[in-house]
Amino acid sequence: MLSRIALRSASARQTASTALVARGSATDAVGVRDEKNFPRPVRGEPGKVRLGFVPEEWFQFFHSKTGVTGPYAFGVGLTTYLCSKEIYVMEHEYYTGLSIFLMVYYATTRFGPKIAAWLDKEIDAVETNWNEGRVQSIKTLEESIEDEKTAQWRAEGQEILVQAKKENVLLQLEAAYRERLMTAYTEVKRRLDYQLEKSNVERRLAQRHMVDWIVTNVTKAITPDQEKQTLDRCIADLSALAAKQ
Amino acid sequence: MAKRIAQSSINWAALAERVPAEQKAHLTAFKVKSDGYLRRVLANPPEPPKINWNLYKQSVPIPGMVDNFQKQYDALKIPYPVDNVSAQIDAQWAQVKKTIEVFIQESNKNIVSYEKQIAEIKALLPYDQMTMEDYRDAYPDEALDPINRPTFWPHDAEEQLDYVDPEKKAQAGH
Repeated sequence: MLSRIALRSASARQTASTALVARGSATDAVGVRDEKNFPRPVRGEPGKVRLGFVPEEWFQFFHSKTGVTGPYAFGVGLTTYLCSKEIYVMEHEYYTGLSIFLMVYYATTRFGPKIAAWLDKEIDAVETNWNEGRVQSIKTLEESIEDEKTAQWRAEGQEILVQAKKENVLLQLEAAYRERLMTAYTEVKRRLDYQLEKSNVERRLAQRHMVDWIVTNVTKAITPDQEKQTLDRCIADLSALAAKQ
Repeated sequence: MAKRIAQSSINWAALAERVPAEQKAHLTAFKVKSDGYLRRVLANPPEPPKINWNLYKQSVPIPGMVDNFQKQYDALKIPYPVDNVSAQIDAQWAQVKKTIEVFIQESNKNIVSYEKQIAEIKALLPYDQMTMEDYRDAYPDEALDPINRPTFWPHDAEEQLDYVDPEKKAQAGH
């Protein structure tokens, strides 16, 4: 039997180097272990069995000679021989054992998986508790690394700020230039408009004055007999017009 | 003529992203000033409107005045304001860049040390592969030591002889 374990552990050692490699301790203090020649053993899978207790290797051993049913036939024959020759005596304790076996079998098949799952959960809780400190430290350190990177990224943003400052200066210069242009334009335009308005006002005043003067002079120049003559002529015209109607 | 500028070419959104929360107020004040400058620029057109000389030539009675004005106006050259601050900004930026370089160096050193610590932690023997002897090698103070510090099973604090229950201690004052 122990050779089975030896064979299995040899194969496990070869596969363990690729998968679950048992790590070495970082602290080379007390109890330094030679990891290369004496690697830490890793828990392997339990051996394969049939009917719960018969190793699989025995079935393989029989397979080439007698096929699949060989070991079972051998087992039945052996049991029959032992029982019929009373080499294996079925006395009172046998029946006790049989009953207990049946009860245990029923219990394991009914409750086994649930209890196994619960126990696994408890073990995982204990293990998580043990690893809590290390996992927290790693997480904190990784967060610190992220924060450092973010701070670097932010610091580089100052370049944009400098560009903005330069642009502010240019904007101020441009604003001042535009204001100067507009001042020149508005001043010139103001003076020209003033001249324009002045000439307009003068012309208008002169016109009105002239009209008034002409009207007053003409009204003064009308003599009384001129007035009578004009009126007579108007009446004649009116009667002629009335006659024409 | 120096380079003229008509609008802002800064990506304010990107700048706002990079500003940490405690300096957002400064950024807002800065942006307000910049917007003020931009508004001043946009208040006037880039070129002044053209003066209609013919209209004035016909209507203004003073002889030669309009022609005189036109000649002088066309000969007028308004100088672009002198820029004597950009050099200071460049000098300031050189300083700031040096400081940023130093900061980034420090930061990278920190990152390297953090990564080293992470590697150290990852290289420790995991608990599920430790034996009790490995545990003693790693944490000699906490391991069971039956010779120097013997303890009763189950080796927690409650079952030892010098344990004082905190609740009983509260009642012991009478």
